[in-house]
Amino acid sequence: MGSADVVRDGPAKAFMLCNEAIVRGAIEADVKVVSAYPGSPTTEILDTFSGVKSNFDYRMEISSNEKVALETCAGAAMVGHRSISSMKSVGMNVASDSFFSLSYTGVKGGMVIVMADDPQAHSSQTEQDGRAFGPSAYVPMLEPSNPAEAKRMVKLAFDLSEKHGVPVLMRTTTRVNHQSGIVELDKIVRKPFEKLDWSHAPARFTTVADTARKFKLQLLERTKRLEEEFNSSDLNRVEGTGSEVGIVTSGAGYNYAVEAARILGIKPSILKLGTTYPLPKRLIADFLKKVKTVIVVEELSPYLELHVTAIAKDANPSVKIIGKWTGHFSEAFEYNTNIVVDAFAKALGLRTPVDYDAVMAKAEELKKGLSDRPPTFCPGCPHRATLWALLQATKGMKHILSTDIGCYSMSFLEPLNYGDSMLSMGACMGVAAGMQYAAKEKVIAMVGDSTFYHAALPGLVNAIHHNDDFTLIILDNEVTAMTGQQPNPGSDYNAGGQPAKRIVLEDVIRGMGITDITVIDPYQAKAVVQPIKEALARKGPNIIISRRACALYADRNKRKRGEAILSNKVDKDVCKKPYACIRSFNCPAISIDDDDRKATISKELCDRCDVCAKLCPFGSIKLREGE
Amino acid sequence: MASDEFSVYMSGVGGQGLVLLSNVMGSACASVGIQAITGEQHGLSQRSGSINIHMRIGEQIRSPLIPIAGADAILALEALEALRYVEYLKPGGVVVMNKRIQHPIIETIGHMKDKATRYMSVEEVKARLSEVTDKVAVVDALEIAKKAGNPLTENIVMLGALSTLEAFPIPEEALKKSIAENVPKKAVDVNLRAFDLGKQAAFETLCNIVKCKK
Repeated sequence: MGSADVVRDGPAKAFMLCNEAIVRGAIEADVKVVSAYPGSPTTEILDTFSGVKSNFDYRMEISSNEKVALETCAGAAMVGHRSISSMKSVGMNVASDSFFSLSYTGVKGGMVIVMADDPQAHSSQTEQDGRAFGPSAYVPMLEPSNPAEAKRMVKLAFDLSEKHGVPVLMRTTTRVNHQSGIVELDKIVRKPFEKLDWSHAPARFTTVADTARKFKLQLLERTKRLEEEFNSSDLNRVEGTGSEVGIVTSGAGYNYAVEAARILGIKPSILKLGTTYPLPKRLIADFLKKVKTVIVVEELSPYLELHVTAIAKDANPSVKIIGKWTGHFSEAFEYNTNIVVDAFAKALGLRTPVDYDAVMAKAEELKKGLSDRPPTFCPGCPHRATLWALLQATKGMKHILSTDIGCYSMSFLEPLNYGDSMLSMGACMGVAAGMQYAAKEKVIAMVGDSTFYHAALPGLVNAIHHNDDFTLIILDNEVTAMTGQQPNPGSDYNAGGQPAKRIVLEDVIRGMGITDITVIDPYQAKAVVQPIKEALARKGPNIIISRRACALYADRNKRKRGEAILSNKVDKDVCKKPYACIRSFNCPAISIDDDDRKATISKELCDRCDVCAKLCPFGSIKLREGE
Repeated sequence: MASDEFSVYMSGVGGQGLVLLSNVMGSACASVGIQAITGEQHGLSQRSGSINIHMRIGEQIRSPLIPIAGADAILALEALEALRYVEYLKPGGVVVMNKRIQHPIIETIGHMKDKATRYMSVEEVKARLSEVTDKVAVVDALEIAKKAGNPLTENIVMLGALSTLEAFPIPEEALKKSIAENVPKKAVDVNLRAFDLGKQAAFETLCNIVKCKK
């Protein structure tokens, strides 16, 4: 597992997260430039590339956003080097402007874009189906089902990209990215990094009007060639023959379909598609001719189902097609084996071996009164302290809070339920601009440092230029905390620990013309309430910067330096149970002792930010003795 | 399902080191040529929230997610998190759960507002689980981890306990080698000690209710 296996020379076998297997595949394919912005479920791709960077000579950056990342890869591939970028579904939206053009211009060096959708919206705003990007941009799209296949596919994707001069999209989903499995490691053969000569005709990668029209005709021809190649590619395969029942599936759906068939004791023919754009129409037609019923297993939109239905019109008009349109599957949420078992059983008139409804009903009965445990701010998290102070400062003040994407997004969850809107990276600014036009209340926008650099900067330019009246709170915790504390433009290092120029927030803001900047340390707790209050009372646009390092990041640095992580405790003789340490603060390290109902602090969980001690009116919270 | 298959549903609270457990088990499988896959949780849910990992061992398994009523065992690093996923347990399956409870902040707030409420206890969790299986073992992993020399080795204590099950398919030698390869160098000894102490604890709390290895 992990970095050790990613750098280990093959042939060998290793247990790897799919995201690590993707990195290993790219390294075996001699990738030369890596550029990405973190985002679940792809983050471990960036983390792994960053973690093993010292072992290889590829150039890498953690970009300020996905569009810049994709363009960086595009530039390198235009020159002739192999490049890879990874991004989550909504990151692809940000990058898509250049993505569409890049399909027109094409590339010289192999270029692969890993795009991960998040059915179930585990850690995303929406469940968008990124498979639409392949056909709408005419970019070939591959879909693996597991780590071993992902590793093989990423290598083939580079070859395909170079052969056809087009970037290749590798589309995954959360349950593929975050699946570990056994992977065959091949020998690592890499050429030393060297800069290449730029040897293209002028405007070779420029697309508009005439050239765009020329490119369009070329890419249609390219797509035809790709489809022909995919008709006989072993990335698409039929498992099991002779059955009247066929399954058409790809990606995560394949895994559930195989297991569901096993549970039901049936042996359907399975067409597993690894190339989902362009679809291998002849292969699908041949498959449809041999079955009477075909079940399409795919999460989210009926993309395969639509094409299977269209192909069946000529290939086998009498074939019965089971999918979302027949009501057997939903377009909502991720699938699992049980969902597919139920659909197969319903479609084929079979009984499920387990009465799942009964199992679930019993489980619900047993779980009555079991408290939910949604994600929350970590012990020591500066956001908890900032939000506490903001809640105090806005007491009695009618206001709207326009928030953004990051750990602080969790403020809208139980138990705070604080925050009014959250759309996408950087959106708090534009949304706040509209709100201050339309609403009577004070408008507050809130964004983290990484998101600020990612996509909020144009929003700030807009707000300053139009003299919009809102207060922006920037939560500066030094890193991109949500995805695992990666460096961002406010850090003095970048991928692989290489030194980087630190962008100073205040300089950027002052440079744009705002001088009303209030900087606070949220750990000061009560002491920062008044400055926040005053800043909010002034006419915007003005800025509050709440600055304190992410607690997980600070702890990691402490451990590196050999410093102990201290903890607080409650002096029960002094505690008079006002619960000031719990109310509106909600630290998971603090609970109530069932015996005396006084607050108690977990030594294992406490991070000693000491904010709770400052909140206690009786001074009952102190440093744990002997530390 | 083939008899050589083993699925364990692992649950806990973000930050308890579940991913390390699946890596230790998976790497051990790779080293002895056993097929293994997992469905893991990374990202948002790690922030002190409920987390789970589906660990699946077996030649023919393709789904990274254990089906409902498909887990041979639940390994819970926190007691409430054993109950939260009870639907995944096979009827009569084994539950190995930590004695420790981390009170969810939502429960604490309810507690603050209503003096009559009490936290859900380990005994309560055990009693409820006993309605669907007679094989529930409670391990005081934090105490044992401290005895091993580091409270952070709770996860390995629990793995040690689980590994005593007769149905657990990974050879002990491979597992120990994998622990040594997957934890920081200076923490190898304490983790191996935690593993052994976890095994020892299982002989007292687990092996009297379910078949264990000799």
